[in-house]
Amino acid sequence: MDFAEYIRKFDAHTAKYIPNRADWTPSDHAVYGPSDYFRMDPKEANDLRYKAVRYQLDRHFKSNRTYRTYCEELKFDPASIRASDDLDKVPVVSTDFFKTYPTGRDFALWLANVYTGELPKIHIKSKEPTHDEVIKSFNDAGMAVAYSSGTSGRHTFIPRDMKAFFSNEYALSKGALTMFYPRWGPDMHSFLLMPNPFKTNLFAGRLGTVMYDIMKDVEVALDREVNTETVRQSMIKGDTLVGKITKYVVSRTTQKSIDRIVDWIGQRSKDGSRIALVGVPFMLHYVLNELKEKGKSYDIGDRTMILTGGGWKAHENERIPEERFRKDVEELLGVRPEHCLDMYGMVEGNGWMLQCPEGHYFHIPTTYLHPMVLDDEGNNIGYGKYGRFAFLDGSMNAYPGFIVTNDKVKMLEHCPHCDRPGPVLESAITRIPGKEVRGCGEEMRKMMAADVGGD
Amino acid sequence: MKRHEFLPNTPFIKLLTKGVASVLKTSAFHLGEVKKMRVRPPEQERYRRPARPYDIPEYQEGMRCGARDEKYLSATLYCDPCDPRIVAMAHKLGAFQVTDLEFAKRAHDLAKNQMIVEYVPFDTAGDTLERGTGTCFHLANTMVALCRAAGIKARYKVFAMNMIAVWYDKMLGADSFMQKWYDSLGYFLIEAEVQVFVDGDWMDAVVGPDDGWQATMGDSLSKLGETSLEDWFEAIPGTVMLRESIPYGLPILGRLMITLAPGSVERVSCNVKRMSQDGYKLIEEMGGREAYDSMTRAKRVKRPMVNVEKSSRITFD
Repeated sequence: MDFAEYIRKFDAHTAKYIPNRADWTPSDHAVYGPSDYFRMDPKEANDLRYKAVRYQLDRHFKSNRTYRTYCEELKFDPASIRASDDLDKVPVVSTDFFKTYPTGRDFALWLANVYTGELPKIHIKSKEPTHDEVIKSFNDAGMAVAYSSGTSGRHTFIPRDMKAFFSNEYALSKGALTMFYPRWGPDMHSFLLMPNPFKTNLFAGRLGTVMYDIMKDVEVALDREVNTETVRQSMIKGDTLVGKITKYVVSRTTQKSIDRIVDWIGQRSKDGSRIALVGVPFMLHYVLNELKEKGKSYDIGDRTMILTGGGWKAHENERIPEERFRKDVEELLGVRPEHCLDMYGMVEGNGWMLQCPEGHYFHIPTTYLHPMVLDDEGNNIGYGKYGRFAFLDGSMNAYPGFIVTNDKVKMLEHCPHCDRPGPVLESAITRIPGKEVRGCGEEMRKMMAADVGGD
Repeated sequence: MKRHEFLPNTPFIKLLTKGVASVLKTSAFHLGEVKKMRVRPPEQERYRRPARPYDIPEYQEGMRCGARDEKYLSATLYCDPCDPRIVAMAHKLGAFQVTDLEFAKRAHDLAKNQMIVEYVPFDTAGDTLERGTGTCFHLANTMVALCRAAGIKARYKVFAMNMIAVWYDKMLGADSFMQKWYDSLGYFLIEAEVQVFVDGDWMDAVVGPDDGWQATMGDSLSKLGETSLEDWFEAIPGTVMLRESIPYGLPILGRLMITLAPGSVERVSCNVKRMSQDGYKLIEEMGGREAYDSMTRAKRVKRPMVNVEKSSRITFD
């Protein structure tokens, strides 16, 4: 099947995600127009991106009071953006901002004030609602509010609407299937190494709904409701009884899921069907360890694609080495490294950076995402140097998707391994060390912790 | 007692109870490690309190005290604005002569930059002023007393903070006992700031880390009107408390820490003194306070502020 036909088939399966072409905005042109985000002529990609970012900048400045006030404080006038080269001047918002929400009723109003545009009518049936209750009320009214897992102890909440969420799912799946070309087909069976996307508002989990539209059938690793409280309890570092019970349940559930995945792979290896394994690397890492322990291996490499995302931390302090992981995948499942790809993205944006099969560099979808690497003073240092990753998301209609992250990256103008023309990120992405906490109480806490730790 | 908020409120009691229970439990199961906090090895630097950099003038008969029986203006636990030492210092700072804003700035500078962080048992604002050192609670208490003495409403802003994940992973990740200990301490090693009521608005004031300490961290020098919560601290939700008084029970916590961990306490005091001195050197090298501050502020990533306004699209039961 040629690539154009491959993408036509994908578009047919994702038709509900694509707005009516007659109503396309510049953002829609940038997301739904290109057949391949990563092979587009750079001039065309720049043009699409500039128009998309420019369109969203004007919208957010006009309709989002929080962002407009922020711009005014920084003495920024959107009229100063006249060409693609000016985009670096657009004020960016730190990802930390999305962790600074209040509780109760104010949380709902905070979401409303971060959102750009008019919300649907939302009714909250509680005097002092929890975060989960607020999100449920928003989403029952047609929004798609989602949150991150909150590894820093605090969730990130993002007020997307369905248009923004569809755009995200479409861009993610199109980017991924492009990199896997020609492996994908709607007859594929897939195992989502994540919670049931219809039973959670955890962003990474909820994204899986698109799988049900582009695959024949979908199995999930965790088929029960996952809310902020479940996530909090599973990540808690303390020793409360509830925390211990939750951790025990989580570890039991994880083991059951691993057993199910191993059985499922066994069945698929017999029936000859094409398969996709999609989800967090640690889950597949456990599956591979289970196979090693049982002395089992399969040869499903000719009909399998593996897509991972979400970071390479296995558990507590254990980090999975990526190359070792791909080697294990090849040895135990027969899947070659070019069919085992990782992606990089985040809850704060719609941009999905997909690894290329040739070199496993993260390719940036520059038709709708303007990438930047910033130094300590917020200047774009461009290619070849490590700095803080930032981006202007031209697809994001729900809130100002002009974001500076806490991720340390190096961007290259071209991939050293493949002929796709756009920029890439090296796969070694780490966290920028955070600001030190200080104050007399904190100083005491650190010293006492260090003392008892035997320094 | 209730009117002046001497009694601890529910969030404070919760923090206190959880903290004490958690520390006692962790200590009981790890006595060996906990003993290390008591040790002061012979080679360890001993803390010497620096000379107080300011004089307290003699109290003169007739010096006016602006405190009165009104919320945020009266004497509360450990805070007697009419203590002669406080009144005399308030007059030196310009009480009833300069504007409220100018006075608050001067009181803030005294508490933040002329007084020094040292871990000592909790005592009155007058005693703290005389000694010139104390924890952030002591320094906050002194600033509150000075402002009330000048007839300016002042209160305490108290909170427990969230851990920053990067630091947690980097420093504590490998040691589960350290994690437990750190988490336990987090319940009740709480931070204090001040709020003063000037020209119809409550203004924040950070008094713990002085300019030198902030400079060693590469931060801008916090001014009156700025809070750490928008910058380097993240409060645990529900723990930010605005109080008229230091509550009963708080001084006991301080004493407990000093009794439990005299070695750690001394090391922290030495450490803070060193950081402050290093920071002041850095500020000097960079051309003084203003030059340093404008340079670091230019590097700061600003954040939008959300004005949580009612929305006609959202209804609550």
